[in-house]
Amino acid sequence: MQKYKTYAAGYLFLLPWLIGLIFLYLSPIFASLYLSFTKYDLLTAPKWIGFDNYKTMFTDDYRLGDSIKVTFQYVLISVPFRLAFALGLAMLLNQGMKFLGVYRTIYYIPSLLGGSVAISVLWKQVFDKDGIFNQGLALMGIEGPNWIADPKYAIYSLIGLSVWQFGSVMIIFLAGLKQIPQELYEAATVDGAGIFRKFSRITMPLLTPVIFFNLTITLIQSFQTFTKAFIISGGSGGPINSTLLYSLYLYIKGFTFLDMGYASAMAWLLLIIIAAFTGLLFLTSRYWVYYSDGRN
Amino acid sequence: MFNKKTITMVLLASMTMLAACSKSADNTNKESAASQPAATSSAASGKKVELRMSWWGSDERHERTQKVIELFEQKNPGVTITGEYSGFDGYMDKLNTQIAAGNAPDLIQMGGNIKEYVDKKALLDLTPYVGNVLHVDDFNGGLVKAATFEDKLYGVTLGVSSSSLLYNASMFEKAGVPLPADNWTYDDFKTSVLQIAQKLGKGNYGSYDLSSDAASLASYLGSIGKEVYRDGERHFDNQDLINWFAMWDELRKAGAIVPADVQVANPPTAVDKSLIVKGQVAIQSASASQIFGFQELTQDKLGLTVYPNGPAGSGMVPPISGQFITSYSGTEHPEIVAKFMDFMVNDPEAGVILGSTRGVPPSGKIRDALAAQSTPVDKVLFDFISLVSDTAPPVVFQQFPLDNEYIKLLQLTSEKIAFGAKPIDSSVEEFMKEMDKLLLKAKAQ
Repeated sequence: MQKYKTYAAGYLFLLPWLIGLIFLYLSPIFASLYLSFTKYDLLTAPKWIGFDNYKTMFTDDYRLGDSIKVTFQYVLISVPFRLAFALGLAMLLNQGMKFLGVYRTIYYIPSLLGGSVAISVLWKQVFDKDGIFNQGLALMGIEGPNWIADPKYAIYSLIGLSVWQFGSVMIIFLAGLKQIPQELYEAATVDGAGIFRKFSRITMPLLTPVIFFNLTITLIQSFQTFTKAFIISGGSGGPINSTLLYSLYLYIKGFTFLDMGYASAMAWLLLIIIAAFTGLLFLTSRYWVYYSDGRN
Repeated sequence: MFNKKTITMVLLASMTMLAACSKSADNTNKESAASQPAATSSAASGKKVELRMSWWGSDERHERTQKVIELFEQKNPGVTITGEYSGFDGYMDKLNTQIAAGNAPDLIQMGGNIKEYVDKKALLDLTPYVGNVLHVDDFNGGLVKAATFEDKLYGVTLGVSSSSLLYNASMFEKAGVPLPADNWTYDDFKTSVLQIAQKLGKGNYGSYDLSSDAASLASYLGSIGKEVYRDGERHFDNQDLINWFAMWDELRKAGAIVPADVQVANPPTAVDKSLIVKGQVAIQSASASQIFGFQELTQDKLGLTVYPNGPAGSGMVPPISGQFITSYSGTEHPEIVAKFMDFMVNDPEAGVILGSTRGVPPSGKIRDALAAQSTPVDKVLFDFISLVSDTAPPVVFQQFPLDNEYIKLLQLTSEKIAFGAKPIDSSVEEFMKEMDKLLLKAKAQ
C-alpha cells in the first residue's frame, strides 16, 4: 500500500508534464501520421488516399527537390562553421581573462535573440543592397551584391545568420573546456608540446563528447530552421527557391496551398532524414568520441 | 502530505486544461446554432458582445476602418469589435489556420477567392438577414450575384475595383513623356518605359517587371484574344507565354524595367517598399483602390490607367467586387455581425469615413455623399472605374481555382528568366507542365 502511495505521488508530480506530452506532442504526432495518408485542406474533413502523398513527393514535385538541395546546403555549411566559430571563441574566452562573465553574456545575446523575428528583420536590413554590410564593403572599394535578393547569395545570408547565433553552443563548449584538467596541459608543456599539439592531443580528444552533443543538437535544429527563411524571403522562399528551406516549403504547402495532408507527409520525411543523420552520428561516435572515464 | 484536498485540487486544475483543449470541438455545435438567427441576439438582452474583425490593407485603410468601428460601438453600446489587421502577405495563411482551429474572426474581409471558402462551409449564410438587418437592394445586381452561391448570400461587396496600372505622373512629366492614353498599345508602353528610363538615368526605371504579375498576364492574353482560364481549361499556349516573357526580357536588357534583384528586394506589392512612391519606377500593377495607400506615402502625383491594348483590343476585365465583408460560420452573434455589415456599406457617416479605400462603394447613396466631398484621389479612382466599365469587353471573369499556387508558379517562372537561371523556352515548358498539373488537381477537388 505504501508502495502505491509513493508511485501515486510520483505520477502526480509528473502529471503536468505528462499532460503536455500527451496532448501537445504525442497526439499531434499521431494525428500528423494519419493525415499524411490523406488529402486534407484544413477546412473540410480529411480523405484517405493511401500512399499518394509519398508517391508525389518522390516522383512529381521538383520544388521539393529544390528545397531539399537548399536545406542540405544550409545544414552542411552552417553546422561546421557554427561549431568551429563557437569553439574558437570558447577557447579565447577560456584564457582566464578578466570580466569573463561580461564577455560570455555579450556573446550569448545573439542566441537569445536569434530565433526571433526581430533579428531576421534586422539581418534583412544589414544585408540589403544599401545595408551596413555593403556600406562597409564600399569603404574598401567593393560593390556588394544584393545579398538577400540574389539567388546566388541569398542562402549564404541565412547561413551567416545561423553561424552568428553561436552563443548557446559556445557556452556548452566553455563548460567542456573547463572540465579538462589543467595538469594535462602543464605536463605537456614540460614535455615541450606547442599550442597546436596541445590542442590536437589534449583539447580535442577530451572535448569530443561535448562536440558530439553540440553537433547532434545543432544538426537537428538546422534541419528544422524556419523563421529566418520565412522572414528574410518574405515568406516566399525566393528568389527562385534559393531560400526555400524544408520547413518553409512544408509551411507553404500546408497553410498557403492548403495541402495539409501532403505537408504532414513532408514532416515525416523530414523526421526520417533527421533520424538518419542522427543515427549516423551515433553509429560513428564510437570511433571518434572519447570518454575519459573509460566508458566507450 | 497528499491528502484528498490536494489531489482534488490538482485534478481540478488538469480538468480545466482538458476543457481548454476541447473548446474547438464545441464550435461545431455553435455553427449549427448560428444558422438560426433567433437563437442568439444577446445584444438585445443587454449583454456585452465582443466581436473580432480581420482585414488586410494599408495604414490608411486601417485607420479609416478603426474609425468606423468606433462609430458603430458608440451607436451600439455593449458591442466591442476588435480589429485584427495586417498587410496582405500572410493574411490568408493566418485565416486558414484560424478557421481550421475554429477561432476565426466573426467578420472577415475576403477577396476574389470567396467561393473557395463558401465551398468549404467556412462562411455564414447571410440570406436570413437580407431585407431586415442587411440592405443590399440599392446595389447593382451583379455585385450581389458575385457573392451569391446556390441562391444564398455569403458576402457584402465593400467596393468595386479593377486591376490597373498605377503610374507616377510626376515621373512622366519630369522625363517629358506624355501620360498614357486610354487606348495605348504595347508598343506605346514599350516606348514610354524606355524613354523614362533613358531620360531619368541610372537607378530609375520606366516600369516594374510585370511578367510575374498575374493580372498583367491575364490582360495581355485578353488583348490577343486568349484567356488564362475558363471552365476547367487554360486557353493559351506555349508561344503566347514565350512572347510575353520575351517582351519583358527585351525591356529588361534595355534597362527599361526594374532588374530582378531590385524587384525582389523592393516588391511592388508592399506599399512601403514600392519604388513607385520613391519616384524611381514609373509604372506598376495594382488593384485600383490601392492608389490611396500609395498616394499617402508620396508627394508625387499618382494616376491610374488601363493595361495596353493588343491586336484583339482591350484585355481589361469589367470592374468587379474587389473585396467582400463576410462572416465566419461559427460566429456567436450573426445578427450583430449582419448589422455591422449593413453599417459599413449603408450608413452615410460610415460611408464617408471609409471613402473609397476598398474601391468605389456599392451603394448609390454613399457614392452621392462621397461625390460631394471627394478628394482628387477619389476622383482618379472613380474616373478610372467608369473608364474600365465603358471600355472593357463584356467578359465574365473566372478566377483560376488554385489561384495561390498559380501565382507562385508564375512568380517562380518569371524569376528564373529574369535572373537568367533558365532560358525562356524551357522555363515556359516547365510552367505549362506545372499549370496542367494544377488544372488536374483543381478538377479533382
